[in-house]
Parts: sequence; structure tokens; C-alpha cells
Amino acid sequence: MSMNCNHDHENKNYSRRDFLTKTSLGLGALSLGSLISPVDAYGKSNFLNLLESEKQRLPHFIPKAKRVIYLFQSGAPSQLDLFDYKPKLNEMFGQEVPKSVIGGQRLTGMSSGQNTFPIAGSLFNFKQHGQSGTWMSELMPYTSKIVDELCFIKSMYTEAINHDPAITMIQTGSELPGRPSIGSWLSYGLGTDNKNLPEFVVLVTKGKTGQPIYSRLWGNGFLPSKHQGVQFRSGKDAVLYLDNPPGVTSGIREEQLSSLKKLQHINHADIGDPEILTKISNYEMAYRMQTSVPEVMDISDEPDYIFDLYGEDSKTPGTFAANCLLARKLAEKDVKFIQLYHRGWDQHGNLPKDIKKQAKETDQATAALIQDLKQRGLLEDTLVIWGGEFGRTNYSQGILKPDNYGRDHHPRCFTIFMAGAGVKKGITLGATDEFGYNIIERPVHIHDFQATLMHLLGIDHEKLTFKFQGRRYRLTDVHGNVVREVLS
Amino acid sequence: MTSEIFEFLGSLHPLLVHLPIGFILLTFLVDIFIKKKNNAVKGVITLGWFFSFLSGAIATLFGWFLGSNNYYFESQIDIHKWSGIAFVGIAFIIWLLRFLNFHFSRFFSRFINLTVLILVLVTSHYGGEMTHGKGYLLKNLPYVKKELNQKILLADKDNPLDSLYVYEDMIYPVLEEKCIACHNQNNTYGGLNMTAYESLIKGGNNGAGIMKGNPYQSAIFKRVNLSQNHPKFMPPSGTPMNYDEVAILHWWIDNGAKRKIPLVKFRNDNSIRKLVEEKYQLDLKEKSYLETLKLSVVPDEKLKLLNEEKFQWRFLTNENSLLDLKFTAKKISVNDLKSLDQIGEHIAWLNLSDCQLTDDMLSHFSKFTNLTRLRIQKNRLTDKGIKFLNDLENLNELNLYGTRITDASLEVFSQMKGLKKIFLWNTRVSANGIKSFKSLNPAIEIITGL
Ligand code: HEC
Repeated sequence: MSMNCNHDHENKNYSRRDFLTKTSLGLGALSLGSLISPVDAYGKSNFLNLLESEKQRLPHFIPKAKRVIYLFQSGAPSQLDLFDYKPKLNEMFGQEVPKSVIGGQRLTGMSSGQNTFPIAGSLFNFKQHGQSGTWMSELMPYTSKIVDELCFIKSMYTEAINHDPAITMIQTGSELPGRPSIGSWLSYGLGTDNKNLPEFVVLVTKGKTGQPIYSRLWGNGFLPSKHQGVQFRSGKDAVLYLDNPPGVTSGIREEQLSSLKKLQHINHADIGDPEILTKISNYEMAYRMQTSVPEVMDISDEPDYIFDLYGEDSKTPGTFAANCLLARKLAEKDVKFIQLYHRGWDQHGNLPKDIKKQAKETDQATAALIQDLKQRGLLEDTLVIWGGEFGRTNYSQGILKPDNYGRDHHPRCFTIFMAGAGVKKGITLGATDEFGYNIIERPVHIHDFQATLMHLLGIDHEKLTFKFQGRRYRLTDVHGNVVREVLS
Repeated sequence: MTSEIFEFLGSLHPLLVHLPIGFILLTFLVDIFIKKKNNAVKGVITLGWFFSFLSGAIATLFGWFLGSNNYYFESQIDIHKWSGIAFVGIAFIIWLLRFLNFHFSRFFSRFINLTVLILVLVTSHYGGEMTHGKGYLLKNLPYVKKELNQKILLADKDNPLDSLYVYEDMIYPVLEEKCIACHNQNNTYGGLNMTAYESLIKGGNNGAGIMKGNPYQSAIFKRVNLSQNHPKFMPPSGTPMNYDEVAILHWWIDNGAKRKIPLVKFRNDNSIRKLVEEKYQLDLKEKSYLETLKLSVVPDEKLKLLNEEKFQWRFLTNENSLLDLKFTAKKISVNDLKSLDQIGEHIAWLNLSDCQLTDDMLSHFSKFTNLTRLRIQKNRLTDKGIKFLNDLENLNELNLYGTRITDASLEVFSQMKGLKKIFLWNTRVSANGIKSFKSLNPAIEIITGL
């Protein structure tokens, strides 16, 4: 069967998938094809998703934020040792968590078999900071100094009880893999602010172990592939396979690409698959990135006091601190969604020792990033988010010792904080009970958080959709309410 | 005890009233349709009048009990009461005359029948209005325009929201419609006068009408929140307050029941906000200058004039009326700036940082009348250029870090009306200069470096 039968209709966005969708109407549709263009048969709209007319109507309202820096703390940092101060747990150190508190809720397989659930009060001291009087543990001395810039949500919750579904949920709005991640949705909805860099860049701290991080977390799902996140690695080859092969000059490369483009356009005119256009734009983007990426990755002209601000690590490529510095540079260049991943927070045992290390790696640079953005005026339209995929239990996983404990996964409450564009400063939303186990005030679901994020970028989360496999999808699926209390 | 019996009998009134209606109608039908009136027929008609009178009298008596419960106010009851009594009176007289074998002329008999029929209709209609609410009869007719649940607060919707108040503009109109007929200076049932804010708060014979901050201690809220069958439910007749109205009342009392709580307070309360927005078709979102601005779409042909190699732009609204615009090349020229003239009023956010912008170029900026955010940091700008920014009165964010301006520019800033934030890190502005500026202009935030 020849597929080259589409010259006579105007459809420019006709992929293999669309072709099959159309023709699956039955063979009748095929034979009718010469009489009625399938596009017209469906009306001109809604045939595919990339309706330029529809997209031009974005943003839905005037945005507060133009870009997001999401400092994702993978593995789930213990809210009880960092932010959520619960003196009751110290009072009751070693006693059983009352049955009424757990209330028959599901526990993970890792600790549900324990025959005792001893309360583990945090070993770290808490103090109030700033004008807002926010409680912070001694683990985060730098962040403690800027609490008046921050907006805490202490009543986050999720349904997922294990890392993979939980991270997938927070990044894509669904526990099952396959949906586009937040950055891809934003790229699809809002397009680019800088033609020389991708809209969605991912930076992963080098050399960390723990729960795996994989590229589908910044995948485009069913959205066109040009919306996927691009990982910038530390070191010489920031983006793999970007450099020209030895012997190929930039001039040759350019000629090559323009010839290729001609061929691809012929091909596209012939079969109309929109992925061909994506390919073309990917090639062009890669070419532009050959100069723009090294430029943005080059931190040699940063003054010493900036390195001092971000901490000694910031001179070592691939550290969280260095990535924070890069994040600022990418924000200056108007990259829309900058996603950092820092692994190693999954402290089932040995928590007091390990969390100290984790906090040290992240605390100073996080605070520095926020301050640096502020002095440059970037905090006015950049949203910074710090948080993991769920929380940790108030009881010790494994044996509780006076100076050591572990904490299991706890989806029923956790803490995140935000700073910058459009969110209130120096506030704390929501609260957990005195055992730090259940939420007693203003629960915020992952979908609510995502809806809020979209809102800040000028998107009505219920309106940014993509039709795929017969239904429309959105980041928040059929859920989510904007958390208005945090909007400034 | 006796008062309870009376109350019970009173509650039978709505049931009993249907008996005289049935009897009298049957009597009319017999009178009209049985042409040959022998004595037996006449006896039936006489008996019909008797039962109409008897059942009518009992119903009236019970109605009196009901009325004296004070659940209805006089003007509401009046017509119903007197036409009912007239009916009973006439029925009695007719029965008596018939009983005494008085002869009726055909004409007189018709006249009486018609009069009584009218009395029955009037009485039952007004009775119906009391139980089913005013206008119940016609309101379900297909061609009558249904009163929508949505209300428009003010004809002029652009009226600033902060000049509207929860009590005056939302609650009082409802009380006026549903309560004040019985609770005013003249009819102060229960000792409660709701026409004035003070007397509303004070309440009636049984204490506080409103306990600020505590709806469940507030008689007004408690009475409208009872089951509608409860004898103490308010209003005792007529249309009750609906869910939204009760919810707003609850919110208002909960939030202190002050006379002047502006509508915008609803903003922070998700539970009530949606309800209010829908009921009154309001948009409670806080509006920035840009959001209130009504501009036309940026004409396509003018946008095409922009050099794509040098400018990157996107729309900020879905009406495509406002632009966020950025210069992307290394060096800007006067001609580049001139290319923006045509779309000047549409530019809301402008980023010309680090592109060798010079002082005299800033003189072009007066075209950008709706500019709210201006980023011209990292250029070799001096105080000379800043003067040109003076008339950008909508500008509220100005980024000048990494420029060469000095304390002299602070003077200009203090004259810029809309200004809220200035970024002055890495400039030649002195710490002392900033300090005295801040004391004179506390509303303007200055962000310097660390
Ligand atoms: C048809 C007349 C009527 C209407 C309309 C009416 N009321 Fe009343 N109201 C009364 C009567 C009669 C009493 C006294 C008997 C009682 O307490 O039930 C009363 C008593 C009250 C009392 C108790 C005062 C006290 O301290 O004893 C409150 C509170 C009250 N009404 C509130 C309302 C509200 C609110 C509305 C409007 C939603 C309303 N009323 C509408 C007739 C009315």
C-alpha cells in the first residue's frame, strides 16, 4: 500500500500514528480518502494536538514566573530531621508509636514486619529563625538564614509508597511511567525563550548512589520529542555527541545540515509525519548548542566571592553546588525548566550520620542560589523548589539506639519549600500532628502542587492538554487545585 | 400545655382548609348541573352549604391559632383572614336562609355563587402564597423568566472590589428581602430589629443576634440554620435563605462580623471564594495594573517588523495584547530601539540587559507607556540616562545592577510613581544614599548585593 497519497490534502501534521488512527475507521475511510480528506472529515481542528492557534493563546493569564529551578532531593529527605519540628517525639523517644496514630494505615514491606515501632525523636536541635520564626534544624545553617525568603509547605502528601512510583508521580503526575514530565509540558505549552538552548535542562549530581535516576523522568512521554529534557553532564562533553567528529569543521557541519534539511523537507511534504519536523529542529538546536552550551557551562569568569557564596564544592564540576551555579547561569539565559537531581536521601538506617553529609552537600548552595538569583533580580520571575518525593516515618526502621536510627518511607506527610516568583515569603502552610505522622491542616497533594506550579507560569492546568490514544491528558490528570494560600 | 394544643390545632389549618373548598365546589356543581331541582336535590344543596360553613368555621378557628403564633405578619395574613371569615359568614347565612325555605331568584342565586367562588379563590391564593412563597403560582409558567440564582452585585462591574463590603453589599440585601418585613422599627417580632447594623448585632429578646466570631452562638445564624420544619426556623414564611446566603452569613460572623469587611477578604479563603465568585459572577483575583489594562491585539504586521535574529518575544496574555520582549544579540543600536516604537504600548516586560545600551538610547523609552518591568542591568549606564525613565509611571520593577549610576539617580527614583523594586547591586550608589532613600521612600524596596 502506498502511503504517498497525501499530496492533495493540507494536513501538515500527519504521523504514522495519526495515519493508523484515521484508517482504523475502516477500509471505507481509505476508499473515501479521495473524496473527503480525513482532515476535513474530522473538521479542521482537534485532529492533532499541535494546534498553533491554540498554543498561541498561552499563557492563559499573565504569568508570575518565567522559569523554574527544581532542586529535586531524590530518595526522600527526612522532614522530621530538617524542617518539621516535633518535640513530642523527643519526649517519647523509644516508646511505641500509639496505634491510634498509625491507625491501621499501610506501611511499606520494609518495616511493616517489625514487631515494634519505637518513636525516634530527631537527634538534631531545632531553632526558630528570621522574622517569620520558622523552625529549622541545625542541619541547614545556611538555609536557616534565608527563611524569610522561603515558603514552606509542611503538609505535602502522595499515595505512592516507593521511590519509583513516587518520583514518577511528582515529575509526571502519574505513578505509571509514560507521561510527559513537568518540564516537557511547559516546553510544549510555552515554547522557548532562548532559541540556542533547550527549554528543559537536567543536571544530576555526579557520583551519588542510592535510588536510580533515569532519563524517562525527564522524558517527553507522548509529546513530540523536541520537548524532552536534555541532560547536561559535568566535564568536557556537557551534552553527549554534540561536538563535531574529528576533521569536521563547523562550516562543513553547517552545509551538511542545510542539505539534510532540504531532504527532510521533501520527505515531510511527502508523508507529513510531524516527527520529521521535530528531527529538523533537533538537528538545528544541536548545531546552535555547539556554541551555546560550552558558553553557559563555562564558569571561569565567575568572581571568587560567588564561588565562596556557593561553597567550596562549587569549583568541582558535577557537585550539587556546581550545578546550582550552573542553574543560575541557565536561568540567566532563560532556560524554562532547570531540573537538578541530588540522590542519597534514602536513609533507612544510619540516618543521623548520613543526613549530615547530605545536608552539607546541599544546604549552602541552595541558600546561595536563592540569594544570587535575588541580587540579580531573577528571583522576581524564577520559581525555586526544594523537595523530595515523600517523607520519612517518625518511628525507627530497625533498632533504635540513643544515637542512631533509620526512617522508612512515609507518603502521608512531607515538607517542601519554594522561593521566588509569585509565592509568599516567610510563610509556612499546613501542619502535621504532634507525632509528625498525619496531616492536620491544609493537606496539599502532589497534583495540587503541580497545579500551583503551572498557575505560576500562567497556565490553567486544566486547559493544557494533549490528545493521545483517544483521550486528552494533562499533567494533573483529573485532579489538582491551585494552592492559593501560597500565591503572593 | 394549652398553648401547645393550640399550636397543634393551628398546624392542622393547612389540612382542614381543603374541606370547605371541596364542599362548596361540589355544592355549586350540583346546583348547576342538576336542572330539575326536586326537594331531594334542594336538600342536598342546603346540606352542602351547611358543611361548607361548618368545615370553614373550624378551619378559620384553627387558622386563628396558627396566626396568633406570630409566625406570619399582619399584612401577610390580612386579606387571607378576612376573605376567609367573609366566606364562612356568607355560607352560614345562605344555609340559614335555605334551611328556612327562603326562596332565591335564579339571578340572586347565581350572584351568590359567583361571590363565594371569588372569595374562595382569593382566600386560598393568599393562603398558598404564605406557605409556598410569594409569586409561587406564576413562577413555574413556561414563559415567565426564571429568576436566576446568579446575582450581579453592581451594574458597574469595574467598580473596584475593595469598595464593596460583605455586610452592606451581600448580607444586608438578603436580610432586607427575607427578614426585615418582620424585624424592623415597627414590626419588631421577637424584639429584633434588623434594619440597623447595631441592632442586628444586639439581637432581640433572647440575646445576641450576632456573636462576632461565633456563628453557633448567634441567634440570627442559628435560626436560619435550623431544619426548615423546626418551629423556630426563620423566616417562618416566605422564601428561606438559600445555601449560599447562609454560607456567606456564616463566613461573615466567623470572620468577625465587622461592618466593613471588604469583599476582597474572600480571596484568602478557598472554601467560600468559589461560591461567591459563582453566585455573583465576580472575579476576586487580585488585579495588577497589567490585568486591568485593556489593549487590542498586537498587529501581526507590526510584529513582523521585529528582527528575529535580535529580538525574542512572547505574549503575556491570551488576548495576545501584551509582550515580554528581550534583546538577544550582543550590541543594540538606536535603529533596533526604533523598531519597537510601533508596538511600544504593548511592551510590558523588557529585557535589554548586557547589550551595550547607552544613556541616550534611554530617551526612546518614553514610548513604552505600559512598561512594568525593565531590565537594563549590565550596561554602561550613568545618571544621565536614568533621567529619561522619569515618566514611565507604570514601571514597578527596575533592574540596574552592574551599571554606573550613583546616588544622583535616587532622586529620580523617588519621583517615579509606580516603582516598587530597584536592583542596585554592583553600582556606584552608596550605602548611605540607600539608607536615606529608604527612610524617605519606605514603599520602595532596594535590593543590593550580599
Ligand atoms: C413572617 C415574619 C418573620 C420573618 C419574615 C422573619 N421572622 Fe424572625 N421572627 C418572627 C417572629 C414572629 C419571631 C418571634 C417568635 C420566635 O422567636 O420564633 C421571630 C424571632 C426571630 C429571632 C429571635 C429573636 C429573639 O431574640 O427572640 C431571630 C434571631 C429571627 N427571628 C431571625 C430572623 C431572620 C434571620 C429572618 C430572615 C431570614 C427572619 N427572622 C424573618 C417573624 C419573622
